[in-house]
Amino acid sequence: MIGTSSALIGAVVLLVLILVWIRADSTSRRLPSTLDGWLPDQGDAVEVCPPEFVSQIFSGQDLAFISRLEWPELKRHFLRERSAVALLCVQQTTTAIRRVMRRHLEASRLSEDIEFAMEARIFLQYAQLRLICGVLFLLIGLAGPHRLHGMALRADKLAQRIGDVLREFESGARTGEMDGARSS
Amino acid sequence: MSTTVRLVLVQEVYDDLLNRTLSRISCDLGRLIYLASTRDYNTGNYYHEGLASRFSPEVARKALEMAHRQTFYKVSGFSLEDLASDLEAYLRSTRENPQEFLRTWQKLEPYRIAIPTEVNLTVARLFTSNLRLALAILRSRQEPSQPHR
Repeated sequence: MIGTSSALIGAVVLLVLILVWIRADSTSRRLPSTLDGWLPDQGDAVEVCPPEFVSQIFSGQDLAFISRLEWPELKRHFLRERSAVALLCVQQTTTAIRRVMRRHLEASRLSEDIEFAMEARIFLQYAQLRLICGVLFLLIGLAGPHRLHGMALRADKLAQRIGDVLREFESGARTGEMDGARSS
Repeated sequence: MSTTVRLVLVQEVYDDLLNRTLSRISCDLGRLIYLASTRDYNTGNYYHEGLASRFSPEVARKALEMAHRQTFYKVSGFSLEDLASDLEAYLRSTRENPQEFLRTWQKLEPYRIAIPTEVNLTVARLFTSNLRLALAILRSRQEPSQPHR
């Protein structure tokens, strides 16, 4: 009996999570393209949002100000707008880091001296970042960006760290190539 | 011209722009709108006659572009409260009818053209989102009879 009810609760939770995901996904797709379709096109050079802005987007300062105005409609409008910006921020981080990782994988395939420990560390950080971004994506609509400040900063720090490690790897690979060219 | 010399020159022009022109504008949003207005709509190139004649069009263009991007990031980093105050200061400086100004800005969203070409997409979205909210706040202050509670 407990097994059946647990499975039922699990299925309901899963269904809710899927619905929230679909809602968050459609919001993030719809808002930037219809309301702000004219925004600068970044093309292939998608970049992670600067840390000070991540902090601002997910902070509770503006919400506190809006709450003081005691205007429920504006508060709803603010939460809708800020959630859309937060979703875009998470989406940008995911896209940027996915691209960087793809480039890194291509470079690694051609590299002759791969450090297994370093690759494993990069992969673990990447997996952690993707997980946090997924959770953020789910929770922004449910809890609001202001309650996810710490998690968003953690994701941003991880994205910066992965970027730094990969830049280091690329410059190391370039130095190796130059040394190889000099010695041959 | 070497890159270092050029960078020093751009910095010199930038400082000149800050001290002579931008310091006379009372608010950051006003500075942003002014800098955006020095950009050609068709080519996206910046032009300022005084700077171009005193230095060179190319260096002036770079300095204006740099100032535009920096001012944009500064305004985008404002809290909503600060942005509403800055918008209010800009509104006062235009000497237009406040109600008409706010209605037009909400309808036409002219601040869209204040976004530089190469900026982070999320920051650009935050900028427009915050301005929409700041306009709503100012409008409620200007028209307190609006049924919003």
